[in-house]
Amino acid sequence: MTLKQEKQIPSVIFVLMLFIVVLYLLPLGMMILNSVKNYDEIMKNVLALPGHFSLKNFAVVFQDMNYPLTFFNTFVVTLIGTAGIVIFGSMAGYKMARVKTRYSRLTFLYCIMPMMVPFQSFMITLVVIAKAFHLTNNVPGLGIIYWGLGIPMALFLYQGFAKTIPYELEESALMEGCSQPRLFMQIIFPLLKSVTASVIVVNAMWIWNDFLLPLLVIGGSREKKTLQLAAYTFMGQYKSEWQNIMAAAILIIIPALVIYLIFQKNIIKGLVAGAVKG
Amino acid sequence: MQELKEFACYVFPAVMFITVFVSIPFLMCIYNSFRKWNGISKATKFIGLKNYHKLFTNDPTFLHALGFTFLYAVCVVVIINVTALLLAVLLESNIKGRGFFRAAFYIPNIISLVVIGFIWKFICIRVFEQLAVLTNNPFWQQSWLGDPRLAVVTTIFVSVWQGLGFYLIIYIAGLQSVPDDLMEAARIDGAGTFRRFFSVTLPLIMPSISFCMFYSVANSMKMFELIFSLTGGGPGDATTPIALDIYNTAFNNNNFGYGSAKSVVLFVIVCAISVIQVNFFKSREIEA
Repeated sequence: MTLKQEKQIPSVIFVLMLFIVVLYLLPLGMMILNSVKNYDEIMKNVLALPGHFSLKNFAVVFQDMNYPLTFFNTFVVTLIGTAGIVIFGSMAGYKMARVKTRYSRLTFLYCIMPMMVPFQSFMITLVVIAKAFHLTNNVPGLGIIYWGLGIPMALFLYQGFAKTIPYELEESALMEGCSQPRLFMQIIFPLLKSVTASVIVVNAMWIWNDFLLPLLVIGGSREKKTLQLAAYTFMGQYKSEWQNIMAAAILIIIPALVIYLIFQKNIIKGLVAGAVKG
Repeated sequence: MQELKEFACYVFPAVMFITVFVSIPFLMCIYNSFRKWNGISKATKFIGLKNYHKLFTNDPTFLHALGFTFLYAVCVVVIINVTALLLAVLLESNIKGRGFFRAAFYIPNIISLVVIGFIWKFICIRVFEQLAVLTNNPFWQQSWLGDPRLAVVTTIFVSVWQGLGFYLIIYIAGLQSVPDDLMEAARIDGAGTFRRFFSVTLPLIMPSISFCMFYSVANSMKMFELIFSLTGGGPGDATTPIALDIYNTAFNNNNFGYGSAKSVVLFVIVCAISVIQVNFFKSREIEA
């Protein structure tokens, strides 16, 4: 191979990749294009550009979906869910890394076992239990249920990382009369921050986009719906009014997209960390 | 004693929530799988193995769901891993804008599966119809969601499209960890591009491969949301996976006992596959 040829290869791959990416994201382009058209235009030709640009569909959907309220509900669920997973997961993970006895080891195994159990294999009775605790039809309650589902993975990551923190640090803090809760909050927890970032990112994205659990425990009640649940109901109602469906899709994607663009680096780091440890 | 108390304080919330929301529901599910229960009445009746017997002898829907899930999982796992690895290798070959490409491929991953389902429903129904008019190509005229066989192809395709970015990122990270001097040494020893890939790169990224295999298998075995909004399990029950069948049995037909039996079967299958995978990949991982 000559030097010239070798230099050309990357640019050939570049053009090829560009082509693949454009093709890959074309469905999303179709979504955006058709969200600003009206019904007749979609029926006539979905591929054509809109006659005149209008955001009317968004206004319709915004109101029909009760967007501000559903957004707020989803936010509350995500916040409660993620916060609990981080707090309880880090506490338990740290302690299990420090105490090296048999009961600690057994508790650790018990806590990470759920990672092997598919959600669908216990969802039926989970609904029954949630009902017994009055957590159904209840926005904060939905967030609390996520604790049980999300803690195992978080705990696993925290335990793995906490093992690498030198014990001398804690010893000297304790010698100087630092209390246990303070030691954890002011010294240990800040040291775990790289894991915390991964755990927050992964769990927040999961809870924000989750559909099955809200479907099971929130179900039909209109003012308690999360975004994904509202999406399903309203898209089902619109049936063939694709312009509204596409506008709704965009309204639902935007919050996640904004978060993704801001925290892109952390998200990718979080995924890789989770994968390598997991 | 003091230490045990302290340990309990830290660990208690995590153990409690896991017990209440995972362990107890799971054990109750096993218990209920031996009983007849409609989910509403307090009275449940012990019927032994009848639920399980019915599952495998007298329930074509479940058997079909079982078959579909395996077919779907095998196709998705193979296609998604091969494509992601291929793209990762291309992206690693020193081209401009690597970060941009990686980010672009990941975008479908941040969209919820329900919304993805609706977007593709639109593509399959309206856009393909338009393409058929424009190109007069019979390929686009087919009913991609209405025909039982094509609907299976569509669900597999959309799943691959949606998940690809995640696996791509893992594989890129894996490729980046392959030390350059090793590749250089292989090159000097006269190994060609393909030889280098199969004999040096592939064994070194085994951890990434085993993680991706593990994750994609687990994910496809319990696929629910995408299919729920894309095809609703149809036409007929052509694209109904086990997870959706469990949902329908329990919440649409109010057959909680029978649904629990199906849940237990799903758990056993996923567990068995995981154990096989762990053993398979454990023996193949090497250190650089």
